[in-house]
Amino acid sequence: MRIVIADDEELARNVLREYLAKENGMDIVAECTNGFEAVKAVAELKPDVVFLDIQMPKLDGFEALELIDRNVAVVFVTAFDQYAMRAFDAAAVDYLLKPFGLDRFRAALEKVQRRVGEARPSAQSSELRNAARPAGEYLDRIVVKDGTKVHVIPVGKLDYAEAQDDYVALRSEGKTWLKQQTIASLETALHPKRFIRVHRGYLVNIERITRLEPNTKDTWTAILTDGSHIPVSRAGYTRFNSLTGA
Amino acid sequence: MHPIFHNWKASLLYLAAWIPLGALLGLLISITGRLTALETAAVTVPITVILALVCLAPWYACRALPLQSTGAAPLFGQHVLAAIVVSGAVLFIARLIASGFSDVRPGIAERFHAASPVLAVMVAMIYLLSIAMHYVVIEAQTSRRSELLAREAQLRALKAQVNPHFLFNSLNSISALTASDPMRAREMCIQLADFLRTSLRLGERAAIPFRDELELTRMYLGVEKVRFGQRLQISLDVASACGDCEVPALLIQPLVENAVKHGIALLDQGGEILMLGRLGKDGLRFIIENPYDPAAPASRSGIGLANVRQRLEARYGNAARLEVEASEDVYRVTLILPVKPS
Repeated sequence: MRIVIADDEELARNVLREYLAKENGMDIVAECTNGFEAVKAVAELKPDVVFLDIQMPKLDGFEALELIDRNVAVVFVTAFDQYAMRAFDAAAVDYLLKPFGLDRFRAALEKVQRRVGEARPSAQSSELRNAARPAGEYLDRIVVKDGTKVHVIPVGKLDYAEAQDDYVALRSEGKTWLKQQTIASLETALHPKRFIRVHRGYLVNIERITRLEPNTKDTWTAILTDGSHIPVSRAGYTRFNSLTGA
Repeated sequence: MHPIFHNWKASLLYLAAWIPLGALLGLLISITGRLTALETAAVTVPITVILALVCLAPWYACRALPLQSTGAAPLFGQHVLAAIVVSGAVLFIARLIASGFSDVRPGIAERFHAASPVLAVMVAMIYLLSIAMHYVVIEAQTSRRSELLAREAQLRALKAQVNPHFLFNSLNSISALTASDPMRAREMCIQLADFLRTSLRLGERAAIPFRDELELTRMYLGVEKVRFGQRLQISLDVASACGDCEVPALLIQPLVENAVKHGIALLDQGGEILMLGRLGKDGLRFIIENPYDPAAPASRSGIGLANVRQRLEARYGNAARLEVEASEDVYRVTLILPVKPS
């Protein structure tokens, strides 16, 4: 089995390495010390399983999970309590609570072996993340994959998001990024006073809207600061007005 | 707004208390100035109302000049000065009123003039009395609040000391070391135990010498040093005079823990936590500086800071300060505590 370990603490990596050495056929293909590296290593090396710490520099484990191929089994290794981890039951094969013993580790490995090659359920990790986030708290950045690398978009720099099948196209600083997420789940993750769903397929940063132009009887067009034209539905128009108080 | 207005019953009661006071003022004016009952009422009623409102002002003055941290001379001087100003102003208004009536009541201004000294002294005394009463109320309020907060802080501190994240991560480090370096594993067990024991012991006390708090912080950092290795560098520069200062227990350590958790732990290469302690005119000044990743998702360190702020306010009023500055990649917390002359 090909394995990636991602933990910023050397001693924590040592434990995993020590336990894996006791098993047969375990091949550690990469050891990463931050979330960026982890996403990159998983994309490039296509391991069977990644052991992922939660609190890491650059990108935390939850953010990394959003960007890791669904065919790769993920085992969280964390000091977080199990209640915080329960929300990720569906997305991660297992979670190991630090410190853990060899028996517990073997049980996790068995779970992984049973599920090798099996894709994670389609429930999206970004949606699980929404469920795990306390009410009233919103994302302050969005992570996307750029080839094998990770790109971070601070929400203030997001102009708008457009739904495209299973993806959202995120427009920021003149570039477009694709992310596997529904626009509805993105909408709930962003501050409702900063981003409005002007249309079924569009979520717009309210600060970017310069004006609304009437189109037909029931539709409008939003003109953004970068000149983009975004369709606005009747419901979107109402939402916009109730937010700006016009 | 003055707290008495939060409760209409208290407001009414306060106003009612001014009826006998106003009557007393009127009596004194009418005797010394030989004013008739009607004349007395015309002068006394408006100034009593004004005085009732002015006597709420010490609420702000008393909080700006807390008893514990204001020297006797400025305390006395400022309040007496205020009393003189108030008394002068009230007298001036009373004279205006009296002279306004001089057309219908010839001679009222002159007769009132005779009553002025008594009125001035009475007003100043009433104002000073109100200041004293405000101090009593504020003291009672603070002591009740700080008692509550202290108990709460104690509980929270105990909980925070045994911060589960810190504890589990440390245990994980020990678990790693047992295989590779049993001696260091044992050493870390002992360090962790020392830290927990000390924080439990100190947590029971309201105030401890700064030296003890620093020692606890050092123990905490010792444990984290094992976990983070080269990523965690520490620079501690504290003037020896700071050691004897009394500080609230477990105030510094959580701030340093923030610097590790939200600063060093989220940096690939880690960095140095810089601590600087000096004793100056404004008291004990302690600075904690750490590098941080400005791109990291906003952390919840604000809760810890709010907790420290609350404890400071409960104990020192507004005489202690906690300042937070975040530059591009350095986070700095400055703590300034008034120090009791020992």
